[in-house]
Amino acid sequence: MALSVEDLKKAIIEKASKAPKPQLYIKDFYECDPDAKPRDIKKIANQLVTEGELMFWSSGSTTMYARPDRIKNEEKNI
Amino acid sequence: MAKHPTPLLDELEKGPWPSFVTALKKQAETKPECWDLLGQLELSYKDRITHWKHGGIVGVFGYGGGVVGRYSDRPDLFPGVEHFHTMRINQPSGMYYTTKHLRAMMDLWEKYGSGVTNMHGSTGDMILLGCRTESLELMFYDMTHQLDQDLGGSGSNLRTPSCCLGESRCEWACYDTQEACYTLTQQYQDELHRPAFPYKFKFKFSGCPNDCVAAIARCDFAVIGTWKDEIRIDQEAVKKYIANDPAFPSNAGAHKGRDWGKFDIQKEVIDLCPTHCMKMDGDKLVIDNAECTRCMHCINVMPRALRPGLEKGATISIGAKAPILEGAQFATLVVPFVKVTKEDDFAGLTEYIEKIWDWWMEVGKNRERVGETMQRVGLPTFLKVMEIEPLPQHVKEPRSNPYIFWREDEVPGGWERDIVEFRKRHAA
Repeated sequence: MALSVEDLKKAIIEKASKAPKPQLYIKDFYECDPDAKPRDIKKIANQLVTEGELMFWSSGSTTMYARPDRIKNEEKNI
Repeated sequence: MAKHPTPLLDELEKGPWPSFVTALKKQAETKPECWDLLGQLELSYKDRITHWKHGGIVGVFGYGGGVVGRYSDRPDLFPGVEHFHTMRINQPSGMYYTTKHLRAMMDLWEKYGSGVTNMHGSTGDMILLGCRTESLELMFYDMTHQLDQDLGGSGSNLRTPSCCLGESRCEWACYDTQEACYTLTQQYQDELHRPAFPYKFKFKFSGCPNDCVAAIARCDFAVIGTWKDEIRIDQEAVKKYIANDPAFPSNAGAHKGRDWGKFDIQKEVIDLCPTHCMKMDGDKLVIDNAECTRCMHCINVMPRALRPGLEKGATISIGAKAPILEGAQFATLVVPFVKVTKEDDFAGLTEYIEKIWDWWMEVGKNRERVGETMQRVGLPTFLKVMEIEPLPQHVKEPRSNPYIFWREDEVPGGWERDIVEFRKRHAA
């Protein structure tokens, strides 16, 4: 990993806050630190879920990650 | 008393077979949301479109799988199914339950959900249909704390592993499928509950090539029991089958409800061998084991005379899937034989599983199953990732090889040749 855990967390949160769609695949976070292993990115993303910064959004067949405020807004508008 | 008229669904009660409509009407007597379930389904039949919205943020805290969100798009008409989420429950290995456990599970489900179940879903889980969002955590807490029962997988996770009955009941099991399934379920809890992959990933464990859990067609990583040495033959028992001894019925008597005539070993076994590796030598049955593809037909027909060999293990086939995004795909044999044992914590399997995951997480596209990634990059690349040399078992027969292409450095002299010299022997 080129970034520290804290910097990677910040980059993931920023990505999830600014992406055009609120739901992101785990792969979308890989570009936050191209040197990090996919497993490390996944571990950090899951830590962010535990901390309440991200949440899981599931279609049933696919699981994505989202910022809670963005996804709740979107679900209200459906 | 029915809440909504359901003339179209009522048609489904008229046949001689059990009807889910009748079962739901009965359930509706104590769970009124089932009237709305029937009402919404009737409307879907009429409109010819689903009225479910699926997906969303439902789940239990910390888990990225196990709950599939379902909402009605007509809660004004059907308030009982406004939320009707599905919970996937991790079934025990081989689906062995005690009735006490099942009753306790159903008591919880009656308390927190609709009481409607699907036993079992195609991955193997117990499927509980119809839970409101606010009841999910309560159900999950009681289930885990009172019954030691966990949720299964959904989404881009490892899906609930499943296995056949294996050594618990089947003499043909070539490894302990239940132990393998349980151990790997425990070992990969993180992958089961928290999404890590581009898409779903399934394991299935079959004890022998009869493949009772259909691993070869239904999962990304199929572990199918096999043997390396010779089929064990009891020649005396073969003679009894040929003599139509009533104690030796063909197919273990499975089809004896009808008179099929006398058992004919030539017609029913030898001629049906896919590789023609069997013959009678006098009154002895002879098998050319090097040609045997482990189809199990002869063993299934004469179980008291033939048995799998003694050097047992499993074949690993990778990349099967049912049609969802792309068409159905059968598994590709990748590892012809591996020892599968608890003694080394199933290292023979985990070594390959983790290699595949690390590679697929990196190169797999979103919503691409591992079999599709394999197809996209080609088998030679995949074999390199797995650090496996191409083997004769990877091809159907010599010179009909669709997969393995030689690289220039593997061919003596490379690709360079004297075209003038070549044309002297082969006119254009």
